[in-house]
Amino acid sequence: MAQRWESDLDEELQDVDLNLAIGTYGQNGIYEDGQHRIDEATLLAVQQQMAQQAAFSAVPDVVKRFIVHFHQAVLDNNLAEITVAYESGWNRLTEKFYAKTEWPEAEVIAPLVNDDQIFLILYRELYYRHVYSRLQPDIDDRFHSYENSCELFNYLLNSDGPVALELPEQWLWDIIDEFIYQFQSFCVWRSKAKAKSDEELQLLADAGQVWSSYSVLNVLYSLIQKSKIHEHMAALQEGKSTDQINEIVGEYGVRPLYRMLGYFSIIGLLRVHSLLGDFTLALKVMEGVELNQKSPFTRVTACHVTTYYYVGFCYIMLRRYSDAIRTFVSILNFILRMRQYHTRSYQYDQINKTADRMYALYAICNALSPSRLDDNISNIVKERYGEQFAKMSKGEEGIPAFEELFIYACPKFINANPPPYDDVEQLALLIDDPPIEPAQRHLGLFLSDVRAQAPVPTLRSFLKLYTSLDASKLANFLDADEEEMVQQLMVMKQASRSVSRAEGERGLLEGHSIPTSDLDFVIDENMVHIAESTVGRRYAGWFIRNTEHAQRVYDSVKNSALPPKPSHNPNPAAAATTNSSAPAPSAPKSSGQKVAWGGVKTN
Amino acid sequence: MVSASHWAQPPTRTELIENLVSGVDRYNPNNVGILEDYLYHQIRTEEYDCLANLAILKLYQFNPDLYNPDVVINILIKALTSSPFPDFNLCISLLDERTANPNADEPDPLPALLPILTSLHNLLQQCRFPAFWSLYRSEKAESLRDNYTVECVGFEDSVRGVVIRAVEGAFKRIGSERLSSYLNLDVGDVKEYVERLGWTVDGAGVISLPSNPDNQPVSTVVQENIQLSQLTKIITHSQVA
Repeated sequence: MAQRWESDLDEELQDVDLNLAIGTYGQNGIYEDGQHRIDEATLLAVQQQMAQQAAFSAVPDVVKRFIVHFHQAVLDNNLAEITVAYESGWNRLTEKFYAKTEWPEAEVIAPLVNDDQIFLILYRELYYRHVYSRLQPDIDDRFHSYENSCELFNYLLNSDGPVALELPEQWLWDIIDEFIYQFQSFCVWRSKAKAKSDEELQLLADAGQVWSSYSVLNVLYSLIQKSKIHEHMAALQEGKSTDQINEIVGEYGVRPLYRMLGYFSIIGLLRVHSLLGDFTLALKVMEGVELNQKSPFTRVTACHVTTYYYVGFCYIMLRRYSDAIRTFVSILNFILRMRQYHTRSYQYDQINKTADRMYALYAICNALSPSRLDDNISNIVKERYGEQFAKMSKGEEGIPAFEELFIYACPKFINANPPPYDDVEQLALLIDDPPIEPAQRHLGLFLSDVRAQAPVPTLRSFLKLYTSLDASKLANFLDADEEEMVQQLMVMKQASRSVSRAEGERGLLEGHSIPTSDLDFVIDENMVHIAESTVGRRYAGWFIRNTEHAQRVYDSVKNSALPPKPSHNPNPAAAATTNSSAPAPSAPKSSGQKVAWGGVKTN
Repeated sequence: MVSASHWAQPPTRTELIENLVSGVDRYNPNNVGILEDYLYHQIRTEEYDCLANLAILKLYQFNPDLYNPDVVINILIKALTSSPFPDFNLCISLLDERTANPNADEPDPLPALLPILTSLHNLLQQCRFPAFWSLYRSEKAESLRDNYTVECVGFEDSVRGVVIRAVEGAFKRIGSERLSSYLNLDVGDVKEYVERLGWTVDGAGVISLPSNPDNQPVSTVVQENIQLSQLTKIITHSQVA
């Protein structure tokens, strides 16, 4: 099975090379003029060489040194050095020299790295990522970044045996993350058939498998199969020993590079399927992945956050609001706790943006299925989305607020297929009558769920006032037909139940129906009996906060220097030295303790 | 109690289908026939397998050439009655926008039927059962009935299943008249229908439902439940200090 997918991949990768080759010949053809063919070609080559030399000399020395150093770190598989170059060096130099322009092209810097093709692939990976994040990628960038990704994955998957390369986990995650981002970005750009130049139209018509859904899935599945990550996770859960696991996962799976790429590819599938609107499959591919703080993917914060965002979103689309709420609460609390460590990270902005979208999704879920799971998160939501939340809690009139938050917070949905660029007539039809955008389609489906339970908030506010009342009387209050209202009561009942996954159930799709509302009722022929569950006063949060506060106060008192006691001290000079050597409260705790309390003992 | 495990993996699913649904072979366009046959088996037998049907739609999504409107319509009919699961919308999610193919031999029946199916789904979702039946029996839905649901064994009973699930949760007792309008059965037939479910009908025609967790509301006071994880910071600190 695996073999077939790999050979498919092979074919595709070869296709890419083939296309490139044909493309290059074609381009030359435009300028060629039979008689002067050789001269022109030589001239072009010379010109190209001169241009590259000029470009090379324009590269600042510090950048050249950086690249040489970076290359050496990769050659040595020196993870610490690679990490420094990757996380710090690259970004600092980007700020300094390439905030608004591309990094030098790989061909330009090739002499610095002895034309090391593997390093050049990695370099291009960074080069294109920079283009996508800081500049506007043009169609060539989009095609070439795809080719480069294919070359990278081809090298990893189709070399003779596993490659010896090692990269930091953060970079491995970024490779998968960026691959899917560029796929999504391409699909969105491709779907806008208007405003494409003739050249772009031609290239898109011939695009073939470039950034196709199949090619992207092929890469992710190949990495998963090569790394045997599913077998690995199953063995871990069965409590197998390291030796046993190494035997199971084989020569690829034992290498951290393949293991983590396999793991991140599962998260990649979750994301791709979500983007394509397949929310069940998105959760199904996560089978075997444990969603808890101890999971390996939590070591890379960006991966951790992405995973929970997509899982939570899929739960919303499955109408499992309580599961979604639990997912968001868990990750938002994690982000709050981690905030102090991540302010300097270059991904901090991205994480914050995703967190803000999750607060919006949390507001949506809480409006549809009110819960009091976490006061802390609820309070932040009220601060940020209080206005929308108030509207959403009112049923039909809140629809625009649902719409606003959904469009803001949903993934960037894509169409699986391109517009018919290979068929001029069809394309013209499509441009005249553009189809609904994927995000709007999913919004429409979500709103149909919202509309179905639109009468609930009003009913709820009336039922809250009674322990039992006559159905006809309730209908009177609501100014509604009694039968219509009874039907709405059934809707309310269904909305107060939700399939929810219990701790420890196997897949993310598992779950049982549970009540999710504090207000319950039953209809006894024509009487409605109501029961309300109340939440007892909560003390824990208050006590925990204050205990922690008291501990902090205690620590700082303990660590501060004692006031001098000059009158009883036989040796004032020595006391002064002790005092001056006592550290300020901000000094490390352990040393502070020793000095300050040590001073007391000697007295 | 409704459980999602049967929904995600119905016990009637064969090993062949399970391998397709859970493995990478689900992407192989050559397998679409097997899944389509399985759908028609569901149409004939009252079995239902949402994930297998979604796998067909996934193949259609990736391979527009495979698209077969009859299959899509049958999938949607099956998904219509799967409440409380959101199958209908999950299926629609996978139907990407497609440009009408002017060269097709026959006109595509889906664009005409989709609005009706969607209305029927909305009515069921809003528990507007009498309105559902009147739309379903109307002239507008004639081609849906004559060409599709007539082939779908037990379709009307599965709609009644949706009704039963809604009534079961919300009612302790319900009048025969009301229930008959929900079930689209004569009052006399309703008696027989509900007795099979173990419900009882008294002389005045009032139907009593057995107790279940959903139709017995009780007032409770929920006390907070402190997790160890909330206290880790404090405990760690007292260990260090």
